[in-house]
Amino acid sequence: MTAVASAGPVSLLARRHEATLVKFLFWSAVVHAALFSLAMVYAKLHEEAPIDLDQKPIKATLVRQGTPRDEKLLPRIEQAPPPPMEQKAPEPAPTPAPPKTVAPAPVAAPAPPKTKQAGEKKADSRQQLFGAFDKMSKSKPDTTGAADGDPSGDSAVAEGEAYYAQLRAQITRFYDVSDTIPDSERIRLTAQVAVVISPAGQLERARLAKSSGNDLFDSAVMTAVKRAAPFAPPPTHLRDPLSKYGVVLQFRP
Amino acid sequence: MRTLFLSLLLCPLATLAQAPVIEISGANFRPLPIAVPLPQALNDGARPVASEFDDAFFFDCSAAGIFQVLDRKSYLADSREGFTASTITFSRWADVGAEALVKVQLSVDGRDLRGEMRLFTVSSGKEELRLVHVVPLDQPRKLAHFFADALYKQFTREPGPFQSHLAYVRRVGKGKDVYLGDWDGKRAIPIAQGSINLLPVVAPQGDAVAFTSYRSGKPALYVQRAGSAAVPLVTNGAMVTGASFSPDGRRIAYSMAQGEGAQLFVADASGGNPQPLTDTPYFINSSPTWSPDGKRIAFVSNRAGTPQLYVLTAGNPKDVRRLTFQGNYNQTPDWSPRGDLIAFTARDERNAFDLFTVNVESGKVTRLTQDQGNNQEPSFSPNGRLIVFSSNRTSGNMLWVMTAEGQNQKMLPLEKGDYSTPDWGP
Repeated sequence: MTAVASAGPVSLLARRHEATLVKFLFWSAVVHAALFSLAMVYAKLHEEAPIDLDQKPIKATLVRQGTPRDEKLLPRIEQAPPPPMEQKAPEPAPTPAPPKTVAPAPVAAPAPPKTKQAGEKKADSRQQLFGAFDKMSKSKPDTTGAADGDPSGDSAVAEGEAYYAQLRAQITRFYDVSDTIPDSERIRLTAQVAVVISPAGQLERARLAKSSGNDLFDSAVMTAVKRAAPFAPPPTHLRDPLSKYGVVLQFRP
Repeated sequence: MRTLFLSLLLCPLATLAQAPVIEISGANFRPLPIAVPLPQALNDGARPVASEFDDAFFFDCSAAGIFQVLDRKSYLADSREGFTASTITFSRWADVGAEALVKVQLSVDGRDLRGEMRLFTVSSGKEELRLVHVVPLDQPRKLAHFFADALYKQFTREPGPFQSHLAYVRRVGKGKDVYLGDWDGKRAIPIAQGSINLLPVVAPQGDAVAFTSYRSGKPALYVQRAGSAAVPLVTNGAMVTGASFSPDGRRIAYSMAQGEGAQLFVADASGGNPQPLTDTPYFINSSPTWSPDGKRIAFVSNRAGTPQLYVLTAGNPKDVRRLTFQGNYNQTPDWSPRGDLIAFTARDERNAFDLFTVNVESGKVTRLTQDQGNNQEPSFSPNGRLIVFSSNRTSGNMLWVMTAEGQNQKMLPLEKGDYSTPDWGP
């Protein structure tokens, strides 16, 4: 017992290392003050624009170009918009020709070709650039997302669905069905095609799993699948299931 | 052992369960690509009529609106290729884009022309239809229309329009003659010649034509069978025009001038017992057309200032409804045998005459022709899927055919002339 008692007199409140504590408190206060003043200075320097609550909001409305057609007038058939201005490849070809015809022209003759060639080069590089963009946009398949898809689309599940949506979009583009199928029959047509897709996106197998009962419709859906292939390579987590079990495509008109 | 067996049995089920199902809809409906190679003449007698058969058959298929008949230049038909599924190389037809293939063989047997038609699905190589028909040797076109109708019915389960008749007016010198021909205007026989004869309508039996004629000095209605004399139908009024048979063929509606206006009347098919349908003394009512159930009549009236389409109930003529509110010159209505649409001619703001349909229930107006000269006087095919009309888009006023949606517009294979007011009857 005595031994314990002799060890006991050490108290937390004992005034030991007093000088160290005072020193610590002092420096702590200094550092705090310095940090605080730094923060103040920073805030002063990087003051953000005040929010003006009275400012009028910017309104944007989507408008149809041109004036709407008078309702009293007979309708017109909506013409398809003119095709976009094509960057014609042969265009640079005719430009070198003029210098030849212009050649007999006096002094100015040598100069223009140079500028023209410079222009051509520019145009060429621009075309190359646009060509690259075109290629990029072409190599990227249609990524029409599902209407109820995840907008961020980063989770594994969402990626899988995006791929299926892509498949659907690509097949729909070739989904041509004969006009000869009567309206009454169109309502109840359903066909299923089981497809197996390789990790590279190739169509490995396509089999009519369930016939619609209408040969024209069956052949149309099989044609659509075959013409839509090859597809984009599936995302990593789908490669195995798609190449082993495949996917069932259920077609309705 | 049993467990192993069970697991083997369940294995395919498990794989099935693992395959996700993707729903695909929104098909692009488009005409069926069909190959119609030249018919094979089996004996020398069939050779001279084969080309006439082919003209009619190829045009029927092209005009049907449900087929995209492949251009014969796009493939080289092997004349030695067989006529049965086992002797046809279907892969060759698939390569040129055909989804269906029609083959016809013709042979002459005495005074008869015998035709055999076979229809194949190219993808499966299956024979879908085999048909034999015999006609008199001088009527290869009749055989062609018979086969075309069979083909149409095979695909659509609806009667085809190609064995029906077309009545039309052709200007000859200073007069206007009425003709009755096949649906494509060919094999036409003159009905009324000399004088001015207008607005023919094919009777519901397809054997007679009613028309308006000036032969007595003022316009009056007559009816005439091919090969017999014209019978006066309504001749008592000052100016009688535009007869229209009710679908059952028992009544006719027509317009008769009275005072400053013109009123609609309905009478027995023989012209007796006329009853007035309209009573607007200062306005003109004309161009009646019956609904397929015979209960309503659409007509043109200027009672609101400009010619517009109206619909009245045959049993209660007071029940009148205005149908068109767009445009200021709408005329020549023709009620679709399917009942839903009325086709008419309208003058648009550019002063061009074009064809439109109006939905009888919703009043929605749809344009069928545009920027192709003047297009007038539409008349529905008996099955309501096609419309024949007159157009001056090429030189002269010719007759054209298109689908009820305005697609696939084709000129009828008539010799050059000035044609007008076609009426497509049974």
